[in-house]
Amino acid sequence: MSFWEVVSAVLLLATALGVVRAQNAVHAALSLIANFLVVAAVYAGLEARFVAMTQVIVYAGAIVVLFLFVIMLLSAARSEAGPDPLPGLQPLALLGGVSLAAVLVYAVSRFQAPANPASLQGGLPQALGPLLYQPERWMYAVLLVGFLLLVATVAAMLLVEPERIAPPLSGKRPQDQQEGARP
Amino acid sequence: MTDSLLAAGVKAFLVVFGLLTAFAYMTLVERRLLARFQVRLGPNRVGPLGLFQPLADAIKSIFKEDLVVSKADRLVFLLAPIISITFALVGFGLIPFGPKHAFFGWDPWVINLDVGILYLFAVSEMAVYGIFLAGWASNSKYSLLGSLRSSAALISYELSLGMSLLAPALLVGSLNLQDIVAWQENNGWLILPLFPAFALFFISSMAEAARTPFDLPEAEQELVGGYNTEYSSIKWALFQMAEYVHLITASALIPTIFLGGWRMPGFLPDIPFLWMFLKMALFLFVFIWIRATWFRLRYDQLMRFGWGRLLPAALIWFLLSALVVAAGASISVLNWFSLASVLVLLAVLLSGPARQKTAKGGAA
Repeated sequence: MSFWEVVSAVLLLATALGVVRAQNAVHAALSLIANFLVVAAVYAGLEARFVAMTQVIVYAGAIVVLFLFVIMLLSAARSEAGPDPLPGLQPLALLGGVSLAAVLVYAVSRFQAPANPASLQGGLPQALGPLLYQPERWMYAVLLVGFLLLVATVAAMLLVEPERIAPPLSGKRPQDQQEGARP
Repeated sequence: MTDSLLAAGVKAFLVVFGLLTAFAYMTLVERRLLARFQVRLGPNRVGPLGLFQPLADAIKSIFKEDLVVSKADRLVFLLAPIISITFALVGFGLIPFGPKHAFFGWDPWVINLDVGILYLFAVSEMAVYGIFLAGWASNSKYSLLGSLRSSAALISYELSLGMSLLAPALLVGSLNLQDIVAWQENNGWLILPLFPAFALFFISSMAEAARTPFDLPEAEQELVGGYNTEYSSIKWALFQMAEYVHLITASALIPTIFLGGWRMPGFLPDIPFLWMFLKMALFLFVFIWIRATWFRLRYDQLMRFGWGRLLPAALIWFLLSALVVAAGASISVLNWFSLASVLVLLAVLLSGPARQKTAKGGAA
């Protein structure tokens, strides 16, 4: 292990702990940004330059901004006190964490360095593009993921404005039903 | 990477020092030019031509009282301006100012990244956090509202910014700024085949630097001062600094990508630094000119323009240039498309409001 590997491992663990342990949700999101930046640095150190930049643009840039928007608009920055609203969740979370760790250990143990590192060209888009967009490689997987994201976007819009996208079948607007159900 | 680490460090220091000096004097230039546009004199009392005005401003902002709101999140309140200025400063080192070894034997750039455009894009996205966190940490209504809407606007214009850069990347086949400059030396400036991309990039980078048609952060009538309402003294100055550094970076980036970078067409000699500085000065002047003549967009107009006009235009132009590249056609095809888009734009600009006016006149 080189010096920088130790430094990045320590930073990764510290920022990840910060995400989980921070009392304030905005501080947790800040730790998440720091974590993503360190991950991007690790990618760059592994000569995966395109992935490193995408990590910063997509995750540290776009996704955490959305997190912060939600936190601020719901003023959910302070941690919640009182009883746990979902008491049964902790064992499930443990199960999920352990299985994720198992999958990761399996993946790392099976990993083989490419026989010809020069063919990766430092992870530039010119080398990555053919891998992702050739039908015999990963094109269908990429298309499927794109389709999934599209479905998720439509679903989000449907959740926000149901009557504008799909008029209710019964002819009754959702607000009326809610008002009828309230008393 | 041909230079040593020491050279890179020295050059990075020079870039930061130069940018901060340029910021100080940009404030003076801008105030003098705005005054000229408004038929008044502007600051001309401190030193000859007002040249010491930035120094006086610096001393003033350092020695003002540094207020922290009592309910502010102190750590984030301090971090926000630092994030702003850091991510504003780290982008500039990528821009090439001349051929190799043109700077006293060193290369006239700090780093030469293969993923240069992506790096610039990542850095400008991270800069949003400065505004965002400043508004939240101030724990004040005006700051929060200002920061929410300016960061929403910034994120919206990031999209068309990135989309407009896809076309040059496709045509050149590289994300490296030096490859883009070299390609333009052989094939002519990219503004000719890609005028729509240039226009879209120009508008979006104006929005990214929060310049006048898009300067929502400064909408003082509605929000006192936007996200930096609660900031004072040197922290406030850091936000101003970040804004100007973004502007300077944008006005260096536009010529690098679309106007041949540090080179000029054949009949002019290649002089490192000179042409680039002239092009930067031109764009900075245009930015100030626009500020002097244009009005500020309302928030909903700004969002509608970004999502409803700029983004579809960027998408269509990207698809068109991708089709041309995929069909293997020559660049002259794109030149014609570019010319056609200029004509369409002119027709829209000339016909739109004027026709409404005559219709109204006819009715009256």
